Amino acid sequence: MKVLTNFFHQVGGMFLFSREVKRTWLRTFGSNAPLVIEQIGSVGIRSISTVCFAGFFVGAILVIQLQLMLAQYDASAMLGGLNTSACIREVGPLIISFLLAGKVGAYTTAELGTMRVTEQIDAIRCLGTNPIQYLVVPRYVAIVVSSLLLLVFGLLVGLFGSMIVANWLYNINPLQYLQSVPRFCGGWTVFCGVAKSAVYGTIVASVSTYKGYNASGGAKGVGVAVTECAVYTNLLIVFANTFMSILLDGMHEIFTMVVG
Amino acid sequence: MAFQYYFLNPIITFLLGAREVGFIFYKTLMTCLKGPHRVREVIGYMYTIGVGSLPIITISTAFAGFVVTSELAHQMDTALHTVEMLPGFSGQFIFRELGIVIPALLLVSKVGAATTAEVGSMKVTEQIDALRLLQIDPIEYLVYPRFVASLIVITCLTLISIFVTLVVAIAVAVLKYNFAVLEYTNALTHFVTNRDLICALVKGMVFGAVVPIISCYYGFNCSGGAEGVGNATTNSVVTSTIIVIILDFVLTFGFSLVL
Repeated sequence: MKVLTNFFHQVGGMFLFSREVKRTWLRTFGSNAPLVIEQIGSVGIRSISTVCFAGFFVGAILVIQLQLMLAQYDASAMLGGLNTSACIREVGPLIISFLLAGKVGAYTTAELGTMRVTEQIDAIRCLGTNPIQYLVVPRYVAIVVSSLLLLVFGLLVGLFGSMIVANWLYNINPLQYLQSVPRFCGGWTVFCGVAKSAVYGTIVASVSTYKGYNASGGAKGVGVAVTECAVYTNLLIVFANTFMSILLDGMHEIFTMVVG
Repeated sequence: MAFQYYFLNPIITFLLGAREVGFIFYKTLMTCLKGPHRVREVIGYMYTIGVGSLPIITISTAFAGFVVTSELAHQMDTALHTVEMLPGFSGQFIFRELGIVIPALLLVSKVGAATTAEVGSMKVTEQIDALRLLQIDPIEYLVYPRFVASLIVITCLTLISIFVTLVVAIAVAVLKYNFAVLEYTNALTHFVTNRDLICALVKGMVFGAVVPIISCYYGFNCSGGAEGVGNATTNSVVTSTIIVIILDFVLTFGFSLVL
């Protein structure tokens, strides 16, 4: 019970915090654009190689698993479509954002948490600067933007990776592989993947800035905050995955009803 | 110069790191071969890792099972205009991939990060040097109980998460797509064999062995005070995640040849 109340307490605090961040961002819109751009660059460049790596292997794993299953039904012709669809809609964003939670989220929490416990944040406030505006907003915006870009890039790498692996291990011609893609993936699939990526990026940003900004208890507290950040991010991403799937399915049904 | 900076140095760093990880692994295995000792400590770690991670593993794999079942049904519907094969497909996918990787990635961020933070703060507060001074081998003393505990616990948690995911998948299939429970379990016995279970156990054991070794390596090698511990934790989580994904690929490919 205590665990549950604590969880809701944390999630509530996180929402309030990210609301405050958004308000500060809108109030001071554009005032620290150079900082935001610098943060986007540092977040993106720091993580791009790992994201490519993860994307490639996620695609490769999916190809092997789906080929194992489809071969039983003699349906290898559908490998490309099924794999692309599964990779974009579901598994790709999930696993790559797990990686981003560790890479970007933990780093941001450690950075902000160290600033908090060494009282640098208090010093910034003393100097008359709003620490949320100066420290949190650039990081928040940068994480949202760059994780969206990184996830989309990772998914693209995943698609090429699965194509290469399918060609290499199962002798499936890339053209043959691509042939079945349009049957499974339309614009809606891409939209699903991008929408999910955007939500996951926002979760990473909210949790990591909240946990880092509210760290307490010295160096050990920073360690605790980093661990909690990773755990909460992963947990919330799994929850968000379910809700986004239900929501997007519902939207799709309404959409097809209206159009068709 | 640029060649050395961008290409040679990372490779050398990687090889040196790999050598040390191998050394830690070897030392731990040698300690394991001495037979069971410090059982109480191992049980304590098993309790912390297992019971601490049980709620999050159960909840998140339940959600994952829900999503993947409805997702597979959706794809089957677009491809074949029928959801008849949902039991076999989702059962196989859960046993071979989903029930293993999602808990492994969650455990990397929960157990791995906690271990690195713990060992790392011992390192920067010079407690590990103190252990060496007392003629106690830190690898034997710190890594061995964590290794054994997480090897056992992560294997068990993999089984638990497969079970939970499967139960949720059956619930979704029954409630949403009008399958009977027996229909689903029959299809499962047809499509999922003992080999799948053995592969799942092997994967769980490998991930359980990798996580403590990598995170202890990063803990032993951190320097530079509190900030160093934070950096080490981040690096440990990222490296373990990537290694888990790569090992998953290798093991999946290996098993696909056997199956």
